[in-house]
Amino acid sequence: MDSLKTDPDAAPYVTAHPTTESAAASSDAPELAGLLTHEDVDRARDRWEVARARWKGRGAKKFRGVRLLWLLIGPGVLVFLGENDAPSMLSYSADGARYGIGFFIPFVVLTFVMGYVVQEMTVRLGAVTHRGHAELIFDRFGKFWGFFAMGDLVLGNFLTLVTEFIGVRAGLGFFGIRPTFAIGGALVIVAGAITTGRYWTWERITMGLAIFNGLFIPAAILARPNWHAVGNALVTWKPFPGGNQNEILVLILATIGATVTPWMLFFQQSAVVDKGMQPRDINAGRFDTILGVVLASTFAIAAILATAPLFHHGINAADFQTAQFAEALEPLIGHTGAALFALGIFEAGIVAAIAISTSSAYAFGEVLKTGHSLNRPLRDAWPFYLVLLGSAAAAAALVLIPKFPLEFVVLTVNVIAVLAMPPALAFLLLLVNDREVMGEHVNGTWANIAGLTVTVLLIIAGIGFGLATVFPKWLGG
Amino acid sequence: MKSDSSELGVGGPGVQPIAADTGRPHLEDPRVVLSLLEADQVVAAKEQMRFGRQKLSPGVRGLLWALRVYVVVMMIIVLISVLRAVHVSQ
Repeated sequence: MDSLKTDPDAAPYVTAHPTTESAAASSDAPELAGLLTHEDVDRARDRWEVARARWKGRGAKKFRGVRLLWLLIGPGVLVFLGENDAPSMLSYSADGARYGIGFFIPFVVLTFVMGYVVQEMTVRLGAVTHRGHAELIFDRFGKFWGFFAMGDLVLGNFLTLVTEFIGVRAGLGFFGIRPTFAIGGALVIVAGAITTGRYWTWERITMGLAIFNGLFIPAAILARPNWHAVGNALVTWKPFPGGNQNEILVLILATIGATVTPWMLFFQQSAVVDKGMQPRDINAGRFDTILGVVLASTFAIAAILATAPLFHHGINAADFQTAQFAEALEPLIGHTGAALFALGIFEAGIVAAIAISTSSAYAFGEVLKTGHSLNRPLRDAWPFYLVLLGSAAAAAALVLIPKFPLEFVVLTVNVIAVLAMPPALAFLLLLVNDREVMGEHVNGTWANIAGLTVTVLLIIAGIGFGLATVFPKWLGG
Repeated sequence: MKSDSSELGVGGPGVQPIAADTGRPHLEDPRVVLSLLEADQVVAAKEQMRFGRQKLSPGVRGLLWALRVYVVVMMIIVLISVLRAVHVSQ
């Protein structure tokens, strides 16, 4: 971290903290107290719990490990279950409904592996630098490239937020709940999660909600999938989807966009920082990310299996919207299965709305250099909370506008996410290979090969989409 | 890398020992708070110290520009695709 420099524009700083040890050794406690914020104290409390769980003198060894992991999981699980959002679950449902059990099941697993490769880097960046992704991009590459990255993030986040509220509206619409109540209730939940003024509480509430993404599992079981075909698809990647190659390409792109998106980079790194993770927690952060991958990919495959009966019964799902999937499934998997599916879509929308609006707020706070932590009370960091709630409220309001072309937003949001990803990955790879920033935690050869492979695959997929759109007849469209 | 005992605040000079068995850290003492956080985790320190600008090589600069152009072109293509879909649906 040789490149840390004093900011000439920063306010006068009374006591320097060159090292924790020397700061702690200072006898001038009142002076130090004046420098510490509510955020520091809350974070120290979290670190105390982690230190206690690590302390070798306490408790049985196996329970110590479990408690430590319980304390350190969060950002990875949230980022992947958050990314299993309404448009993503819609993409997976479309995969299952249009092509049944086959190529898309192992393909979804592959996209989650790509997601892990990328997200693991953000864990290291956050734990080592204690700075968010937007802050690091602005610091290391300057305002021009910083605003470039932010532009993609803001556009992608806002459109995605709109789709989350579409999911909320459609999910609750299945139960006859009016859109105004559904959207209003969702906003109350988003606001409720942040009023705790504590990152830890926010994280646990959101994880509690996120686990309901698992509702797709009973829905899949009720669809009575052919497990032999599932196993065969996982091994052989067959049957490969037939028909219009243009449509398949868009669906492939949307499926990648359902797993690897720019907001995830910004969110997980900032959440790792807000959680107070340190370099020694990197392995736990990796476990957290793997846990997120396993849970989210399982639930994604469950969504494919739940809608596969539509394919087997020859029901054309080409133009299905979220609610129509649940309605079409009702005669095939029963009212309970369809209701679980609709609830799952509602849950996916709510959790993603919380995570994505938080991602926007973190990035704004980092760029504007204002307080940007869920450990801060509302009065200390009101711009942060204003962006968080304001972006959610604006997206929610759009969904309530009559005749707003919601279906086109849903259609394009995952595609936009994939197209915006290569530049985001370039910044990520530059940062994680920056020895001045990362020190000994700089990327290794294999991590770079994996990161570059993901970037090249996304660029190829994007170019393929571009060619198919401009020259649709090439692919038989 | 700090030891477990130092992270618990029991090993640092001038730091009031934390009674691990009571399960309560003395967070009203700022020195205990500082002993639990890394130096650059403290908000005041983070505000004061920033990472400097990285010098980008011409190759990296070219790559970032190429990706910028890529995103702009692709967004135009998405717009064409959406307009086409709207036209078809009408």
